[in-house]
Amino acid sequence: MTQGITVSRRGLMAMAGTSLAAASFPQSLFAQSGRNILIIAAGQDIPSFDPHTSSGYSASFLLRNTYDPLVRVAGIPPEPVPALADSWTVSEDGLEYVFTLNPAARFHSGAPVTAEDVVYSFNRALTLARGNAWMIRGIVTPEGMVAEGAGTVRFTLGVPYAAFLQVLPWIFIVEKAAVEANLGNDQGEAWLMNNIAGSGPFRVARSQAGTLFHLERTPEAWQAGGGNLDGVIWQIVRETASQRLMLQRGEVHMAVDLTSEDMDALEAAPGVVRVIEPEYRTFSIKMNTAHGPLADINLRKAISYATNYQAIIEAAGYADLMTGPLPDGILGHDPALEVYRTDLDKAREHLAQSAHPEGGITLRMVHVSGLEQQRRWALIMLDSLKALNINLEIVPMNWPDMVAACKSPETFPDLFPVYQTANYGDPDNIAYAAYHSSRNGAWQNAVYANPEVDALIEAARAEIDSEARVALYRRFQEMVVADAPDIFGVLERRKLGMRDVVQGYRFSPVASNAVEAWGLSLG
Amino acid sequence: MLTFVLRRLLMLVPVIIGLTVIMFAIARLLPGDPVGLAAGPNATQAEIEALSREFGLDQPVWVQYWTYVSGLAQGDLGTSLATRRPVATDIAAYLPATLELVLAAMLIAVAVGIPLGLITAVWRNRWPDYLSQVMAIGAISMPRFFLGLLLQLGFAMWLMWLPLGGRFPIVMIPPPHVTGFLTLDSLLAGDMEAFGITMRYLALPSIAMSLSPLATIMRMMRASTIEVMQQDYVTTARALGLSNRRIICKYVARNAVSATLTVIGLYFGWLLGGTVLVETVFDWPGLGLYATRAIVSQDMMPVIGVALVIGVLFVLANLVIDLTYGLVNPRVRYT
Repeated sequence: MTQGITVSRRGLMAMAGTSLAAASFPQSLFAQSGRNILIIAAGQDIPSFDPHTSSGYSASFLLRNTYDPLVRVAGIPPEPVPALADSWTVSEDGLEYVFTLNPAARFHSGAPVTAEDVVYSFNRALTLARGNAWMIRGIVTPEGMVAEGAGTVRFTLGVPYAAFLQVLPWIFIVEKAAVEANLGNDQGEAWLMNNIAGSGPFRVARSQAGTLFHLERTPEAWQAGGGNLDGVIWQIVRETASQRLMLQRGEVHMAVDLTSEDMDALEAAPGVVRVIEPEYRTFSIKMNTAHGPLADINLRKAISYATNYQAIIEAAGYADLMTGPLPDGILGHDPALEVYRTDLDKAREHLAQSAHPEGGITLRMVHVSGLEQQRRWALIMLDSLKALNINLEIVPMNWPDMVAACKSPETFPDLFPVYQTANYGDPDNIAYAAYHSSRNGAWQNAVYANPEVDALIEAARAEIDSEARVALYRRFQEMVVADAPDIFGVLERRKLGMRDVVQGYRFSPVASNAVEAWGLSLG
Repeated sequence: MLTFVLRRLLMLVPVIIGLTVIMFAIARLLPGDPVGLAAGPNATQAEIEALSREFGLDQPVWVQYWTYVSGLAQGDLGTSLATRRPVATDIAAYLPATLELVLAAMLIAVAVGIPLGLITAVWRNRWPDYLSQVMAIGAISMPRFFLGLLLQLGFAMWLMWLPLGGRFPIVMIPPPHVTGFLTLDSLLAGDMEAFGITMRYLALPSIAMSLSPLATIMRMMRASTIEVMQQDYVTTARALGLSNRRIICKYVARNAVSATLTVIGLYFGWLLGGTVLVETVFDWPGLGLYATRAIVSQDMMPVIGVALVIGVLFVLANLVIDLTYGLVNPRVRYT
C-alpha cells in the first residue's frame, strides 16, 4: 500500500464485502462466459447417455437435445411434427407407415442419417428391451422394418397401433457405424453410456456425474431455425428450495422441480416467469380390488363417495380434480363423465349393501415416507373414513418396499397412493399401464383386472378411426368408474419457473421438464 | 513404530470383512424389490429376471458374497444396479469432494477450537468462558443442515457474499484434475483466481460442518487444560517464576492437546458418515449424496462401497491420530 491512505475498519469490511460480492455474484459469471448458455436447475442426475436403455426426465432431456427421433410432438394437445422424417404416410388399415427422411439430416460425425440407421436403432432398442423399448414392444418387429434406399423407411406393424406416432419421439436414432465401431460384447452399451452417436442440435461438452451436464450446439447443426443458444447446462440441485433461490438470484434460467409452495413464494419475484400448466400426470389412490375387504365393490363405492375431495385438492396445491381415469384434455377424455364426489348419504347407502354394513373394520393405507403430500392425503382418508366407522392404519414405507408389495394381491395394501406420468400424449399410455390386467403385479396396476376393460383397451389401441377410438375410450372410462378401482385424485399441474430472459418457450404437456432447448433464446 | 503401523493396517482386514458381512446381511434382511425398481415400471417379468441374472442376484446370498469379496480383492467394488456404472469409478469421482469438505471442516474446528479451549480455560469462570460455553452448547445442539440453511440465507441470499451451493461456478472451467481437491488443483495450476473461487464455495458448507466438532474440541480442550493446570509440575513451573504465557504454550497446551486428539480422530469418521445432509443442502457433489441416492433405490453395491470406504478412512484417520500423539508427546512409545 502507498503511504497516506487510511481506511477505517468498517470501510475495509465494506470493501471486502463488495469485492466478494462482485466476484461471486452470478451475473458477472454469465458475462464471463460471454455466450448464451441456458442453465437449468434440476433434481435428477443423468445416469447414462444410452438412448435405448435410459429413461426418466433427466435422461430424456439429454437425449431430446443430442439425438433425433423420426418425429417429435409439440403443442397442446401434443401433435406429431417432423424431426428426422420430414414426411410420412399411413396406410388405410393403419398397418403401414412410410417415413421419408430429411436429406439434410447429419450425424455429429458429418455422415448423413440413413434408413439403415433408423432400422438399426429400432432393432437395438428391441434387443436391449430396456428404457423406452416397452413403447414399441409387440408392435414393431425386426421383420416389419425395411430400409428402402437411403431415405425411406417402411414399418409394417403386426397390429394396428393408433398411438404409434406419439411414441416415436422416444425412440432415438443412433449412427450405426459409430456404434458398430465400439460394439464390445454389450451392443455398445458401455460406449454409449458416455458417448453420443446422434444427430441432435447439441453435443456433450462437459459431463460431471452428480453435478452438471453441459451441452454445446454442434457447429453444423442441420436443423432449420432454432434459438440463439450456444449451450445448455443441466445443473443438479437436489433441494427444490435451493432451485427456487437460485432462480431468484438469477444463477439459473430455469428450475424444473418446484413445489406449489415455491411457486407461491415466486409470485412477486422480479424477473421470474412462472409456468403452471395442466399436464398428463395423475395422482390417485389405488384400492385392492382382489383381496381383503375392498374386493367388495360396494365398499369401494362407499369409500369413493365418502372421500373429501375438497380437502384432497386443497392439499395438492396447483392441481385439478380428475374426472375419471383419464387426464383432462387427452384424446377421448369425457369431461361430462359422472364420477364420485363427496356424498355421505350415498356412501352410507353403499356401505349398507356391503359385507360390513356397520363399518367397524380397519383398512391399511401406505404412502411413501417423507412425501408430505401423500401423508396429508392419508390423513384426509383417515378423516373421511371415520364417517363410515372405518378405521385407517397409515403405514409410511420406502418406495422399493411399496413396489415389492405390489407383487401379489395378498401383500398389496388396501389403499395405495400413486403418481403416474404419461410418457407419451395418448390415452393408451395411461389406460394400458394403469388398467390392463397384463400389468398386474407391477405398481402401475397391481391388482385390478376386468376382461371387458382389457378388451376395450386393446380395441382402442388398435383402432385407427379416431371417432371410433373416442367412443371406445368413453366406454372404457364408464366401465372403470363403475368398477371404482381407484379413488380418482388430481391432475397436478406442471410447475416451471424461468427467468424472463428466456424466450421462445412453448409448453407441451408431455415431459415438459425434459426441456427441448433448440427453439429457446436468451434475450 | 513400523510394526505398529503394519499391525494397525492389518486390522483393516477384519474391519472390511465385518463391514461386508453386515452390509450383505442388511441387504438380505431388508424388504423391497431393488431389481424391479431398477428395471423400471414397464419391464416385463422376463426382463426383471434377466436383470436379476445379469447381476447374479438370483444366486444364494453366500455365492453373491463370495463373488463380491473375490472382486474386492482385485479392487472391484461391483456395479450399481441403478446406473450400471462401476462403483469404484463413482467413488473415485465423489470421494475427493467429500474429503476436501471434511478436511476443511476439521481444519476450521481444530484451528479455532483448540485456541478457544485454551483461552476459556485460562479465563475460567469469567465472561469469555461463559459466553463460549453458551455458544458451544448452541453449536452442538444445532442440526448441521439447519445451520447450513441459515448460512445460505444470511450469506448467499441477504448479503450475497458467497455462493448458494455447488463446488465451482458451472459456467467456468475448473482447474485441471490432479488430486481431485479443487483447492490443491488450483494451487498446483498456479491459478489464484480459481483458488479464491474454490475457497468461497467451500466456506459455507465447511463452516456448517465444523461448528459441532469445533464446540466439542473446544470443550474438551478446556477441560483437559484445566486438569493439566492443576498438575504439580505446573505449580512447580509457576514457583520457578516462569511466565504464565510460557507455561501455557510450552507445557500445558501440549499435554492438553493429547486428550483432544482422540476426539478429533473420532470426529473425522463422524463427519465422513454425516456429510449427507450438508451435501444435500449445498449440492456438494460428494459421497453423501451418492450414498443417499443409492439407499433410496436400495442399490446395495454403492451402499456397501461407501460403507467400506468410510470404514477404511476411519481406521486410517485414527492411525494418523495415534501417530500424532508421538509428535505432540515424545514420551509415547509405539509397540
